[in-house]
Amino acid sequence: MKWLLKIIDAVRPTFEEGGKLRLLNPVFGALEHFFFAPSTRTIGAPHVRDPLDLKRVMSMVIIAVVPSVLAAFYFFGLRFLAMIIVSYAAGLTVEAIFAMVRKEGINEGFFVTGILWPLILPPNLPLWMVALGVAFGVSIGKELFGGTGRNIFNPALVGRCFLSLAYPKTMAASWVEPSHKLVGGLLTWIGPPLDAVSGATPLALAKQGDMGSTAHMLLGSVSGSAGETSAILIILGGIFLLFTRVASWRTVVSMLGSFVILTGALVLGGAVKYPIPGVFGPVMWHLFAGGLLFGAFYMATDPVTGPTTNAGKWFYGIIIGLTTVLIRNFTGYVEGVTFAILLGNIVAPILDEIVVGIRIRRLRNEG
Amino acid sequence: MRFRGGYNILLKGKPAGSVTAMPEPKILYLPLRSERFKFTDIRVKNGQKVTGGDVLASDPDNYAVPLLAPRAGTVRLKAVEGHIVLENAALLEERADIAAKEMLHVEQEMGAAGIKRYKLLSLGAWQFFYDAFTGALPDPLGTPQAVIVSTLSLEPFLARGDVQLHKRLLNLTRGLEHLQSLLEYQPIYLVMPNISSEFANLIRNQIRGYASVKMLEIPMKYPYDHFEILARRLNLKRGGGPIWGVRTEGVLAVDRALTLTKPCMVRIVSIGGMGVNMPTHIKVMSGYPIQKIKDKYVFEPAARVINGGILTGEILPAETLGVDTECRGITILREQEEREFLGFIRPGWGRHCYADCYLSSLRKKFSEQLNTGIRGELRPCISCNYCEEVCPAGIMPYLIHKYLYADLIEEAEQARVDLCIECGLCSYVCPSKIDLRKQLIDAKALIEKEKEEIRQEQLRQEEALKQQEEARKQSEEKTE
Repeated sequence: MKWLLKIIDAVRPTFEEGGKLRLLNPVFGALEHFFFAPSTRTIGAPHVRDPLDLKRVMSMVIIAVVPSVLAAFYFFGLRFLAMIIVSYAAGLTVEAIFAMVRKEGINEGFFVTGILWPLILPPNLPLWMVALGVAFGVSIGKELFGGTGRNIFNPALVGRCFLSLAYPKTMAASWVEPSHKLVGGLLTWIGPPLDAVSGATPLALAKQGDMGSTAHMLLGSVSGSAGETSAILIILGGIFLLFTRVASWRTVVSMLGSFVILTGALVLGGAVKYPIPGVFGPVMWHLFAGGLLFGAFYMATDPVTGPTTNAGKWFYGIIIGLTTVLIRNFTGYVEGVTFAILLGNIVAPILDEIVVGIRIRRLRNEG
Repeated sequence: MRFRGGYNILLKGKPAGSVTAMPEPKILYLPLRSERFKFTDIRVKNGQKVTGGDVLASDPDNYAVPLLAPRAGTVRLKAVEGHIVLENAALLEERADIAAKEMLHVEQEMGAAGIKRYKLLSLGAWQFFYDAFTGALPDPLGTPQAVIVSTLSLEPFLARGDVQLHKRLLNLTRGLEHLQSLLEYQPIYLVMPNISSEFANLIRNQIRGYASVKMLEIPMKYPYDHFEILARRLNLKRGGGPIWGVRTEGVLAVDRALTLTKPCMVRIVSIGGMGVNMPTHIKVMSGYPIQKIKDKYVFEPAARVINGGILTGEILPAETLGVDTECRGITILREQEEREFLGFIRPGWGRHCYADCYLSSLRKKFSEQLNTGIRGELRPCISCNYCEEVCPAGIMPYLIHKYLYADLIEEAEQARVDLCIECGLCSYVCPSKIDLRKQLIDAKALIEKEKEEIRQEQLRQEEALKQQEEARKQSEEKTE
């Protein structure tokens, strides 16, 4: 790949201070560092460094969602590809503009947001809304706070929250029944022009007292956000993330655990009634329904917007899990994960503050 | 004992367990400074002939710890900046004893007990002692609340304890005996990787009589051999008096100084790292020409020479020509030169990662080739918490980093940045490539400076008050 490095070195002066295209320097830098790792050396102790960098961390998340992305292609057709392209194009534009104004490099954090974003959208959403939502999420949810590492809210969830509050009707009308053909929806295009069979999500149906099969939700052949339907693939990718230690198992375990316990308790106590008999049945149904698993593995585990301390992560997960149950069962909304995680993002700094306060008090007597 | 954090970095270039004696040098370059000492008080004249064991210079700030002439030769003072050069170095009969007259004087001054400490200091054994909490040279006349003897040396790649101990077990136990004789009832903690091994049993049998020697087992994980970590794990408090930390070579030096009354000048130093063709341990005296070592062991021409280990050592400047008196190892690292193509999506079968993000985590343990590349771009902290997990001191490096970023020095002080032992693991694991170690060290220095200023200010005020008081008294006396 020497030739590429030569080209990059040859055009570099154009983008540097004094060059014609110096405004585009962050874009150039991002491209350069995408292909070639920087040649920076350590200047003092420690003289060696771990190979893990942010690019690798982010690519781990992208690898983890590959199964879900493929499933989205299978169930919802080529239109999903267009959604990914639009998401990256719109988001990167916003990111690049902010980077140019701030004269900083483009942060790789967006590559994760760009792929997660179409996965949490209704598959039939108009493409302009895909673009608008991601632009809103990235600019308001992340860049205004100072970019990746300094944001308080998960940018994808801010975008989704914005869309569902601003365009509730379009959002609700954009759910489609996934393809049930053997080859799935591969090579087909379903979209607003040829409106496909619109399908209510299992959670929406459940509000009307109709609970679908848990097995279908496990496999993914139900209506729902593009990447959220197949529980088994999300679990697969999620376990990969936990093994690589990019995502914290504490958050996932506490969030899902508290969700299961509270749902189970509510069913046992008779506070909510489901058509499915027993305790175990409805609990499993709810665990696999909607965006809970996707949120637990990919959204709540975002290290930037969650708490940093391990103790904080436990409480963070519990708060999200419990809030999701409450929203799903006792409010007009059918799906509560988005709001629950955003609420968790708000609480996260306070949780950290408390835990850090306790640790510092304990450290006072050390040594 | 419960330890926090820690991490072993597996690198290629681990020194073999054998010890090679380097050929006798013709000329020695003795650096006038080392990690802790600055030998500013020169005791010899230009052109003076000295014998091995003579004091060339001493450090007035560190209880006059001496810089000893390792060999006989002719002194050249101004030949090389920052060095005392010893020409025509030859191995003559070492000075067998401290002059009887001097001893008599010491005995009158300090009594019999003081002689031992005087010997330790003047024969070069005292420089192997560390204050566990500050890392500085302890007061040779002070009494510690405990002594920690560590046979471990876990940082890659410093001279290991087992290599130092080879065939010198008797010297170790004798050294421990001498150490005990310096104390009253204070405990000596002997830290070993395995206290039920045959070797440990041998030591146990030898030291059966010494009640105050306690053996401790610690896991072989960097940096659990650090004296401050050990002292904290033993629940020893800073306020309870100094704690002496000594490594294997220190105990052996104590034995040599007190049993044979001979100066300690030759030491075992490791030479390791990825730029070395035959990583091993070498026997050298301080002042040994580094170029000679490089000629023999280093094959990489553009390599970084580090004085010390890979995580805490300092780059050896080109101006330093000789091994300094505190050197425990020389590490040679290849400099990063090539830029990796699409490095972040490589499977990584051959690279280690703290977070299991490469395929190599499916593999058995192996040693890795590493160079000085920083391997990524500097980014803001993403709060991944790896630095806290790996921190052996139990502090939160990312939190202190954020406080310092916001200029909140007082908060950083409350977060106990002073507990940092500068092991370098936080910088090593950080995926955002933030140099946490340096930031923490700078913050410590800043806080220390501010405290010193406040102390000075208080002293000044007290002084002023006293003067006022005296002036008032005088004027009162006058009026009377």
